[in-house]
This record gives sequence, structure tokens and C-alpha cells, in this order.
Amino acid sequence: MDILFGSLAAGILLGMVIALVALGLTIIFGVMDIVNFAHGEFLMVGMYTGLLTAQATGMDPLLTLPVAGVVGFLLGVICYAGFIKFLIRGPMVAQLLGTFGLMLFLRNLALLIFGSSDRTVHHGILVGKSFEIGMGIILPATKLAAAGLSVIAFLAVWLLMNRTKIGKALTATALNAQAARYMGIPTEKMNALAWGIGGASVTVAGALIVNFWAVNPFMGLLFTMIAFAVVALGGFGSVPGAFFAGLAVGLIMEIPGFWDFFTYTFDWMWMADVPMTSLKYMWIYVAYFVIMVVRPRGLFGWKH
Amino acid sequence: MKASVRLVIVGVALAAVLGLTVPAGVFGAEEIKIGVIYPLTGGAAASGRELRAGAELAAEIANNVMADLSMTMAKNSGIKAMGGAKIKLVFKDHEGNPTLGADLAKKLILDDKVHGILGCYHSSVTKTVSAVCEQYGVPMINGSSTSPDLTMRGFKWFWRTTPHDKWFTKDLFEFLKGLTEGKVKGVQAVPKKDIEAVAAACENTEWGSLVTEMIKLFAGEYDFNLRKTLLYADKATDLSSEVRSMKAARPDVMLFASYTSDAILMVKTLKAEKASPKIIWGQNAGFETPEFRNTLGDDIVGILTRTVFLPQVVEVKKIAGQVNQMYKAKTGNDLSGASARSFTGLQAWVHVLEKAGSTKPADIQKAANAIEIPGDELVVPWAGVKFSTTGDELGQNILGSGLIGQYQKAKDGKVVLEIVYPFDVVTADMIYPFQAW
Repeated sequence: MDILFGSLAAGILLGMVIALVALGLTIIFGVMDIVNFAHGEFLMVGMYTGLLTAQATGMDPLLTLPVAGVVGFLLGVICYAGFIKFLIRGPMVAQLLGTFGLMLFLRNLALLIFGSSDRTVHHGILVGKSFEIGMGIILPATKLAAAGLSVIAFLAVWLLMNRTKIGKALTATALNAQAARYMGIPTEKMNALAWGIGGASVTVAGALIVNFWAVNPFMGLLFTMIAFAVVALGGFGSVPGAFFAGLAVGLIMEIPGFWDFFTYTFDWMWMADVPMTSLKYMWIYVAYFVIMVVRPRGLFGWKH
Repeated sequence: MKASVRLVIVGVALAAVLGLTVPAGVFGAEEIKIGVIYPLTGGAAASGRELRAGAELAAEIANNVMADLSMTMAKNSGIKAMGGAKIKLVFKDHEGNPTLGADLAKKLILDDKVHGILGCYHSSVTKTVSAVCEQYGVPMINGSSTSPDLTMRGFKWFWRTTPHDKWFTKDLFEFLKGLTEGKVKGVQAVPKKDIEAVAAACENTEWGSLVTEMIKLFAGEYDFNLRKTLLYADKATDLSSEVRSMKAARPDVMLFASYTSDAILMVKTLKAEKASPKIIWGQNAGFETPEFRNTLGDDIVGILTRTVFLPQVVEVKKIAGQVNQMYKAKTGNDLSGASARSFTGLQAWVHVLEKAGSTKPADIQKAANAIEIPGDELVVPWAGVKFSTTGDELGQNILGSGLIGQYQKAKDGKVVLEIVYPFDVVTADMIYPFQAW
């Protein structure tokens, strides 16, 4: 049973982290109908920001979160004002290829500046610590912190969207930009704000993730893909959807753990020979595929 | 919206089909040009730097007279048999990518007109590069790839100085057997059932896959219970599900074949997931890089790694001590398995060229099959270098041997590798069992 509980806990924890990564993507899509292919690269920028700030100033990586947030907000706003604003006047394909180009640009910029080597944080209050709470459940402190922040970030965004004027303005912009403009809502600003919040949430996620995962200029793609799967699963534009889909994807990634549970509980040793861990990402895309075929608007989709 | 969903799918497909790269070229004059293909960037860049420094130092010694070194190649300036022609190394960066490696080999052969190749560290890259060399009839010496397959393909233009994983893996099981028989210094005989359950995780390129096969082979032969084997991507950013999967098998012994960044990530994850096997063993590579030691510090005390070279060798071999001093002056680090073997690889090249007396491929081939470098000229603790010319294995050095080291804390607080196998050259008591984090 230890294996089962351990995997469940790990999956939920990982799911919350993944949900946090996907949050920014779903905000931007929700407000603007724009798919940001550079999302994983934003995450990478956040990871490098956290890592380099920590290394340069000698402070704990956790304290770099506000810096990463500011960098992400600015990055989002600058991308919007300098680039996306012009793209959205074009056809959908232009928007797609545009953010795709942004992805290539950011990736190669990182390659130019940082080189292709993996970098990791080695020191910090939480790095390398974990809590064992029995029944095989082990919670690494860094992931716990990331999961906690994920919950806070989701609550904050949810409150912002549902309980504030700005949130209403954002929602109005999302539902009908033209009508919103007639009502006096500065839709341009709302779009920029969506990009800012989206950017900040993903770079903060990056600065947290760098506490336990390595960063290199190429890692964005994997997370873009996972974030897409999460957002598609949860429904494009749905904030609660992203959270629950994140949890689902976290548990899906733990399929090898559940497999092991059966292997060793029932001692079916033939199961030990199946390379489940090598296939752990496959199930996410299987889920993505299934949801696209069966329910294209996702579990919590609300637009159109 | 439907159109946009469709476009998302198209976009995701586009994104999946993506890659990049391209490094710089180098020019040379009328020297003997050896193309050296190593992973100078990417996950194994740390090892790449050492490999490069090792080869450069060997070239420096070959190109200059260094009277106090008792090495044949230190006695002459350049290759004496060719009028003192100097060795020029042309470095290329394969980034751990077999396809790129093959392209670079073609470039070196066709554009740079190199006379021979040295490389490539990753067995997967060595495999493709040696295939190119075989195709063009250009000699290649390999100093640091340990996939057994490489010398079993009947290639006529490929020679390997390092012992390979079959030997090393056998060493491991000999060591485990020794542990049950009380042969390990500082440890009383351990009942077989205490260390019987084994799990292995190896990176999923050529090298790791073959190490897995070797572990399967010898676990059967030595009657150990291999509960789990798994392969993982060496560029993985997260290994926690792998580690949990290994833990689920409740192994006494955990075996790894990892490159640098994944070895570090693996040990960090083992610690975070509170894995507590009695023995952790790494098939060198990542497990013996300075980065591994510097990054993880005290966390690696008790971890075993097979290796071909340890600083302690310096104490028993004068020549190794001298070369180590030069290497340290150049890089600030002690010689390691990577640098020492890269050094030895180029040293073999020098001997081959000296014997061949020309850069004609056919002469080089004949010379390589005939050379014999005595052990006392080598920095590595081998009986020498002599390539097999018959049997299943062609071009394999038959005089090499391996070591197993354990990270221990020295009196000055530094973490050092002590030799625990072979049993006759042990330098310290073994720490057993592994102290859980």
C-alpha cells in the first residue's frame, strides 16, 4: 500500500505544480483566444531568473520569486505591446506562427547567453529536504512549497477574475471585446494585463520549479506540451479547469507508480519488465488525444 | 474556436518536429591532424572539458621534449619517424548527438583532411562516427566509450584502449560476491540474502541500454535477484517517478549508468525520496566527474563507482603522479577517468604514428595492430595497451582493467574516492551499508 499512497501523493503534488505552469497559458487564451507557443520558454525565463538571481545575490532561491514575477509580468506586457498587438490583427495562422517564432527566439537567445548545459540550484532552505509522513508518503519540501503556491496562485487568480472590477473587465474583454470597448473598458490594457498576469504566473512557477528541476534552453517544449494537454483537458480559458486538469495530469504521470503497486502487491513479476517509466509522458498525450476527440471544449470549457 | 483547436493540434505537431545546432570549424597547417570529437557542450559538457584537456596535454607532451617523463612520446619533439611532424588536434563538439557526430566525422575527413580520429565518449556517438571512419577507411582510436558492442562489429579501422562495460560489470558482481565472502576490507562477510535484491536504472542511449543488458547477464550468472531495470532519458528534468519505481522494488543494491547532469539529479532525487539501499553503485561517467563531487558534497559519501583511474593511482605510479601534476597546473583538477583515458587514447595514437612512420591509412592500420605500449608508460593502472587482432573482438585493448572506488570523507573534510576493488590494491576500509540520508 506504501507504493500506492506514495504515488498518489507524488501525483497530486506534481499535478499542482503542473497546474501552476498551465495557469498562465489558460489566462492568456481565455482573454485573447491566443495560443502562446512560447509558454514553456516563459517558464524557462522564470527558471533562469530564479537561478541567476539566487546565484548573483547569494539569497535563497525562494526569495527570488518576486523578482521572477516582475520579470514575467514585464516580459508578458512587452511581448503583448511590442508584438502580439500587431499579430492579432492578422489571421489565426499568423498568431500561431508568431508565438511559435517567439518561442524559437527566446530559446535561441537563452542558448546564446547561457549555453546548452543543464543548470540546477544546489543550495537553499528547502533544497534536498523532504518530509516522511508515513504510509510511504514522502513530500519533498521544494515540491510542497510549489504546490502550496499553486493553490494560492489559483485562488488569487480566481478571486481576481470573479470578485474584482478588473476581473469583470477581463472577462468582458474575453467574451466580447467590441462590446466591452463600447462600455468603456480599455480592452488594450486588459489584453496587456492578461499577458502580464499570464507571464508572471508562469515565471513564478519557473522560479519555484528550478529548486527541484534542472533548466536548459530546450526544456520549454516539454512543458509547453504538458501545459497544452492540461489546458485542453481542463477547457481552454477555464481557471478551475486548469487546476483540476493539472491534478489529473499529475496522476496520469504517476501511472508507472500505480503499475508498480500492482506488480509488487500481487508479485506479478512480468509487470516489472514493462518499461512504464519510459512511457510516462505518453499517457498525457493519450489523454490529450482522447479529450480532443471526445470533448474538444475540455472538462470545464465555457467559451463558445 | 473549432478552427483554433485544429490549429493548436497542428501547432503541437509542428513543435514536436523541432531541433537545431551548428558549431565552428578549425583550420590546420602541414601537421599530422587528428580529429577529436567530444561532447563539449550539452549534458556531458563537464566530462567533455576533461576529455579535451586530457587529449591536449598528451599532444603537448608528444610535441615537446620532456626529459623527466619516462614516456616514449616525451623523448621526442613531434613524431620522430616522420621528421618531427607535430600532432595537431582538431576539436569538434558532438553534443551527445550520434547524427551530429557522424556529420562532424565526415566534415573532418572530407574538409579538414584529418589523418585519424579520436573520440567520442558517448558510445552511441562512437558507433556512428566509427561507421563513417570504416566507410572512408580512416583510422579511429577510442579511449573512453565502454559499450561492449563497439569492438564486436569486425571493424578494421577501429581500435579501443579502454576496457569495456562487460569487464566492469563483471568486476561489480565479483565485488558483490567478495562482499559475501568477507574479502572486502573493513567489512565482515555479508549474508547473500542481505544484498541479493538488485535494481538498475540506466540512461537510455546505446551505453545505458547495454549496461542494462550486462547487468541482466551477470545478475543471472552470479545468482542475484534483479527486481527491476529501467531506462530513462539522460536529458530528463525530473527523475522522481523513476526513483519511486526503483524503491518500489525494495532493492538492496541500486545500480546506475548515468552521464553528468542526470547522475546529479538522480542522487538528489534519491535523497529527496529517502531511498535507502545498502549499496549504490554507478557505472562511472557521471558518477566520477568533478561536478558530481563538487555539487553533491557529503551526500555522496558511501556511493561506489567503477572507474579506470583514481588520484590514489598517483601514489603507486610515478608517471601518473608526474602527468597529474602537469594536468592540475593546466586545469586545476586532478586527472579523472575521463581525462586519463583521453590522454591514453591520444598516447596510443602517438605510438601508432611513430610505428607507422607515415600517415597512409594502410600503414597506420598495420602499426595499430602491432603496437604494444608497456604498462609503466601509462597513467592508467593497466598492464599496457595491445589490440586484439583475432577472435570475436577486433581492436580491443586486451591489457586494460578496472577499479571500483567509494566516495569517503578524508581527514581534511574533502570527499575523495578510495579504492575498494580489486582487493589487492585497496586503499581504505569500505563503508557498508550505505548510510541513508
